[in-house]
Amino acid sequence: MMRNCTTVQRSLGAWLDAELGEAERQEIREHLEKCPSCLAEKRRLERLQSALGEALRARASGIAFEPFWREVQRRISEREIPWHARFWDWVRSILYPQRLAWVVPVAMVFLVGAFSLREFFPGWLSGSQRTARTVVDSIDGHGLNVALFRESESRTTVIWLFEDHEEEDEASGSSTQGNPF
Amino acid sequence: MIPSDWELVQRWREGEVIAFQELVAKYHQKVFMVVLGILNHREDALEIAQETFFRAYKKINEFKGGSTFYTWIYRIAVNLSIDFQRRKRRNPIELRETSAEVIEGEGEMGSDPYRDLQDRELGKRLMEAINDLTPDHKAVIVLRAIEGLSYKDISRILGCSQGTVMSRLHYARKKLQEKLGPFL
Amino acid sequence: MRLLGALPKVTLFSFGLVLSSALLIAAEKGLPGSKPGVQLKIGTILASNQSQDFDPRLSKMKNQLKVFKYRSYRLINEEIQDVPWQANALFSIPGGRSLVVVPQEYRDRQVSLKVRLLERDKPLLDTSVRLRNRGNLLLGGPVHEGGVLILSIWAMAE
Repeated sequence: MMRNCTTVQRSLGAWLDAELGEAERQEIREHLEKCPSCLAEKRRLERLQSALGEALRARASGIAFEPFWREVQRRISEREIPWHARFWDWVRSILYPQRLAWVVPVAMVFLVGAFSLREFFPGWLSGSQRTARTVVDSIDGHGLNVALFRESESRTTVIWLFEDHEEEDEASGSSTQGNPF
Repeated sequence: MIPSDWELVQRWREGEVIAFQELVAKYHQKVFMVVLGILNHREDALEIAQETFFRAYKKINEFKGGSTFYTWIYRIAVNLSIDFQRRKRRNPIELRETSAEVIEGEGEMGSDPYRDLQDRELGKRLMEAINDLTPDHKAVIVLRAIEGLSYKDISRILGCSQGTVMSRLHYARKKLQEKLGPFL
Repeated sequence: MRLLGALPKVTLFSFGLVLSSALLIAAEKGLPGSKPGVQLKIGTILASNQSQDFDPRLSKMKNQLKVFKYRSYRLINEEIQDVPWQANALFSIPGGRSLVVVPQEYRDRQVSLKVRLLERDKPLLDTSVRLRNRGNLLLGGPVHEGGVLILSIWAMAE
């Protein structure tokens, strides 16, 4: 694949860091042989890398080991890690991306599934439906007989009204209503 | 035979403090360099570097050997540095004075005085330019520049993907080039 | 923020999309009792021994109807109304009857209702009940066409 200068310059850092695959490295090498502008950019980047390393190492020179070690020992003997620091270290370890890579799709599936299940099992998110029973606070039959019946297996509550019938079916010898249970 | 880091860690876990001391001797300079690169303040960097080894000592049982010892210790150092920087907003003027003071303390002039002067100026401007980066960008540029760590190791230290390391490095280098312009 | 920055952008975007969708669904459904009303559904069932037919539309209520000894069940009518709290909902029941339901309140996952069954203008029954949300009560007894009527009173707080 022929690369243009923008793509090459974007990859120059990784090329200098030896982080590209062989095929990509070869392409960039060939491009640099033909492109003076990218070659100049590569040289600027090399100078920057080298200057960076030198400047940082120069600034950090001259740390004596003995006083450093004594201070570390003093901390170890006198201190504990504060609880909040332990807590944030734990949070960081939990949210490390390689673990989070599994957590995120699992969380996504769980969220979508939880809300979809409401369509198939209405009320399941509303809390325990099993323990909430129908409660009859008051009944007034206005002079008629009323029966209240509960069947636990099907969780059915029945209010049955026995209507006042003057005529009965003489052929059957019983009323149409009769005892429903 | 020189013991490996893992052997030293095992001995340390068994109570051999000298093993821990050997690890500190091996890595204290490197840890200090990385922290100084991020914080750009010598005293603070020393404090954080020492704290890094203190924390490592207390948390040694959490090191399971899944990563190398140095990526583990650098992770502690970088997290402490970034947290420290966020807690303490330093006066920018104080930072510039610090970098100038360090530059003055550098070694003797080389055979090309003009070149040495130019390098000094570049070094000074480099540190100022690095200091303008965000802590995350500073961390990648420092880890790569000082230690030459691979993108994979840097990603483990910083807790991000290799792609993120690559894009942060690219961005940081671009910013430094923009600021340093004619010096490069 | 540094931790968020460590995640791939696609993962963050997908997660954000799902989370937004979930929140929108939740907002649209709402918490029961937060909207001003109740959905009432009254099913009028004719129970008799004149045949052995079981109306397939009543399959979900089969276990409940087993409580009774009738052999045949037929759904005559089903009516749904959205009723504001404290408002009267009138349902027409065969045989010159009517059912008035007044939703009272939603509390402890139960819908309180006042129910009155009338025959023309004469009240046959007054009752105060608390149904579990999306639950029902069976009210039966009025005679009709060789059988009896069983009213299924179902309520859902919106």
